[in-house]
Amino acid sequence: MDGAHLTPRGLLLRAGISLLVLIAVMIGSLRVGSEPVSIRRAIHSMADPNQTDLDYQILVHVRLPRVIVAAVVGAALACAGVVCQVLLRNPLADPYLLGVSSGAGLGAIIAVLSGLTWTLAGGSAIAVCAFAGALGTMGLVWWLGQWVGRWGVAGLVLAGVIVNAFLSAVIMCLVAIAKGDQVHATLFWLMGNINEEGLLVVWLAVGCVGACIVGLFFLSPRLNVICFGDDQARSMGIDANRVRLAAFVLSGLMTAVAVSLAGLVGFVGLVIPHAVRLVWGGDCRQLLPMCAVVGATFLVICDTICRVIVAPAQLPVGIVTALIGGPVFIGLLVVHSRKIGPLS
Amino acid sequence: MKPVIEMEQVSFGYTPGSDLLRGLTFKVEQGAFVGIAGPNGSGKTTLLRLLTGLLHPQSGLIRIDGENVDSYGISAMAQKVSVVCQDPVVPLGFSVAETVLMARVARLGQRVFGDKRDMEVMQQCLQMTDAAHLADRPLGRLSGGERQRVLIARALAQDTPILLLDEPTTFLDLRHQLEVYDLLKAIQGPQDKTIVIITHDLNLAGRYCERVLVLCGGSGPGSSDGDDRAGFFFGRPEEVFTASRIEQVFGVQIVSGRIAGQQVFVPIKRRPEVINRV
Amino acid sequence: MARWWLLALGFAGWVVCGLTVCPPGDAAAVAPGNDGHRAERIVSLAPNLTEILFALGAGDRVVAVTNHCNYPSSARAKARVGTFWQPNLEAIIGARPDLVVALDMAQHGLVAQRLARMGYRCLVLDIDTVAQLMEVIETLGHTLGCPDKADSLRASLAQRLAKACLPVGMACLPSDRAGQTAGPRPRVLWVVQRQPLRVAGQQTFVNEMIELAGGQNAMGATIYQYPPIGAEQVLACRAEVIIEPVAAEDLQGMDRRRAIEFWNLFQGVPAVANQRIYFVDADIVSRLGPRLADGVEAMAGCLRPEGRED
Repeated sequence: MDGAHLTPRGLLLRAGISLLVLIAVMIGSLRVGSEPVSIRRAIHSMADPNQTDLDYQILVHVRLPRVIVAAVVGAALACAGVVCQVLLRNPLADPYLLGVSSGAGLGAIIAVLSGLTWTLAGGSAIAVCAFAGALGTMGLVWWLGQWVGRWGVAGLVLAGVIVNAFLSAVIMCLVAIAKGDQVHATLFWLMGNINEEGLLVVWLAVGCVGACIVGLFFLSPRLNVICFGDDQARSMGIDANRVRLAAFVLSGLMTAVAVSLAGLVGFVGLVIPHAVRLVWGGDCRQLLPMCAVVGATFLVICDTICRVIVAPAQLPVGIVTALIGGPVFIGLLVVHSRKIGPLS
Repeated sequence: MKPVIEMEQVSFGYTPGSDLLRGLTFKVEQGAFVGIAGPNGSGKTTLLRLLTGLLHPQSGLIRIDGENVDSYGISAMAQKVSVVCQDPVVPLGFSVAETVLMARVARLGQRVFGDKRDMEVMQQCLQMTDAAHLADRPLGRLSGGERQRVLIARALAQDTPILLLDEPTTFLDLRHQLEVYDLLKAIQGPQDKTIVIITHDLNLAGRYCERVLVLCGGSGPGSSDGDDRAGFFFGRPEEVFTASRIEQVFGVQIVSGRIAGQQVFVPIKRRPEVINRV
Repeated sequence: MARWWLLALGFAGWVVCGLTVCPPGDAAAVAPGNDGHRAERIVSLAPNLTEILFALGAGDRVVAVTNHCNYPSSARAKARVGTFWQPNLEAIIGARPDLVVALDMAQHGLVAQRLARMGYRCLVLDIDTVAQLMEVIETLGHTLGCPDKADSLRASLAQRLAKACLPVGMACLPSDRAGQTAGPRPRVLWVVQRQPLRVAGQQTFVNEMIELAGGQNAMGATIYQYPPIGAEQVLACRAEVIIEPVAAEDLQGMDRRRAIEFWNLFQGVPAVANQRIYFVDADIVSRLGPRLADGVEAMAGCLRPEGRED
């Protein structure tokens, strides 16, 4: 922390450097894959109107969208993780706590079981149904939370846990009656995979997640204040309920987009906020942009590992994030308890 | 002088049927220094909550600056009143400087970062509460007293005409207790702030406050509607703080005397009778 | 408030930009059929499709297959494009195919869509029943330009299937079932997994194969395709024959004693009492492909009164 508080210049510097690192990692990831590809040849063939060059196709149609999607999903999940940890005042919260995971999973398995093959704006049926499921479930959890806990945080958590448990059971029921390949498709989706998406889907995802992150950045000073509790926030002039609702909507939208694109990629929303907080402190104005960039970098690296480690087969990216994220998280907890004190 | 805080026949109880406060009526002028005292559970913190609009009275009127409390929105209220709580939630990760700056967030409007004025105010307030040397420290590494001073600094940084403090000197040593009172007295005059402070220290209250409000909480007679429960006394310390009244309200035996030109009350022992508290 | 409106406006502008630059139409090139161009570089995304391609004599035109494609042995020498469950798009493109054949499954459908979007020719085929298998053989024959090969393959398959159950004394083809049975069909319990116990229900193609082989499924109608069952159902189903498919590589060295020990717990079941528990090569009975007749014949062998394991 420079001095005692955050300055715009400090944040710009850090965010700028991290962004450069992210771009370097993304370019590096483009060059790696199961097929040997030359970027120079691809650039040359861009001038060619036919564009049938293999390098160009693989780079631009397969790898580039995939790397961008990995970055977008990583940024979305990390930022949503920050918001959930702040809103729920719990360092163990992740974006899936509030029902998103099971809702999206239910949408996905319904799409798989019905054998839907239509696409909406280039997004597959599974993605669209997962998106709808995620949003619907979050609305349900919010409504239930109001009903149970009257604007309180405890009500939200309770509702999230209940809805998650219930919908998970429904998913398991459906999995039991599904055909072999449908079961596999569902489980695969649940493990988290980065896919190669069409240009329009990638464009929309980048726009949506980017807008949500910017919106949350606008909210971040108020998010800081609600860390002090509703009463103190109120006495300082911040309506905690409204801030919570806005933050919930934005982070929920981001999570729904991330989950519909990549399934349930775990650990990004849990570990990245902690790691960033440990290095750069817990001010939300810094936490959000830095988590976005660090989360994006992390997931691009994980996805690259997934693509090459057992090529031409691929690992689900959720496995790699868990394998890396688990030990990293434990390490962070140890360092955290030595540096600041027990987790609270 | 225009009354800046008014309460008229305010009654409030947490459960229906039992009233913590009944028929409470008093006026506080602008620029006054008011102390609130009373036994535990007599409704002092409740009174502060009523004043900020967090709780609504069952009957009666509460006015801040001439307007009914209910007509103030959250941000409007925050521009008029700032509060130092008794038992605050304290996230351990923020530094002292960041904590004090929180008070300025409501003024940010479109901005995400504070400007130079906010920094100046923050530094001034930290200096006033003798906490400037703690600016870099995270809240988790402060002592109880240091944390209290930081919260007072934060309330000061909010720059409101009315300051409500709920037992702000609980964890402070003798020197810092006097320091807080001196500080409050110092800003009261030049900045024309109205200060309401809940305290257990009757002597300090008697020395610094211009008006005191004693909440009896059902222990003794007071000016209310002929009922001797939920009574209160309001007035100048010389008039309100009498030995017999204190003995009755607080249930202790008092020895009082004048020391250095000021009336001092020292509790000796508890009174034998059981005080009926409803 | 102003900045929120600006943000919303910015996002709306972004969306409009995206929709104009790349309109959401789908380049659907998934229609089957022969468009006149003879496919020289074929990529197969499923083991049974690979077997069909080789059976149709197009084996030398196949350039890449999945990890699971292990028959015929020359298929193992081909380049790999990932697993059956998750084909690798990069590897497929790297093989420069002019025809990609895939099954009608969730993952294959997605891959086919993406390939079609990039201009590759994809054929998505549905093989869930024996009848569909015959159709697919015909379709592929057309596409590859060898319709007569396809016809002869179908004919020989149909012939073998018709004869497969005769030693059992049954009429085999499902369409012949009405009134031609010459005795009770043996009740077969098809065990997919032993612990926990999962069997094949009636809505599977395995069921079709059982009936073609002259038996009937010991399980009644179930909701699940491959239901997990308990000891009660095992005893209640009164199976006369128990068949367990085992992966080819495990078949030689498997511990039959263990399996027999397990089944000896169910003494009330006729199959166990008469020691009619058989293990067959999973590859020929779990794939709807040209070796279907091999699989049915193997099963028929198990169902024969004198019992013969293949």
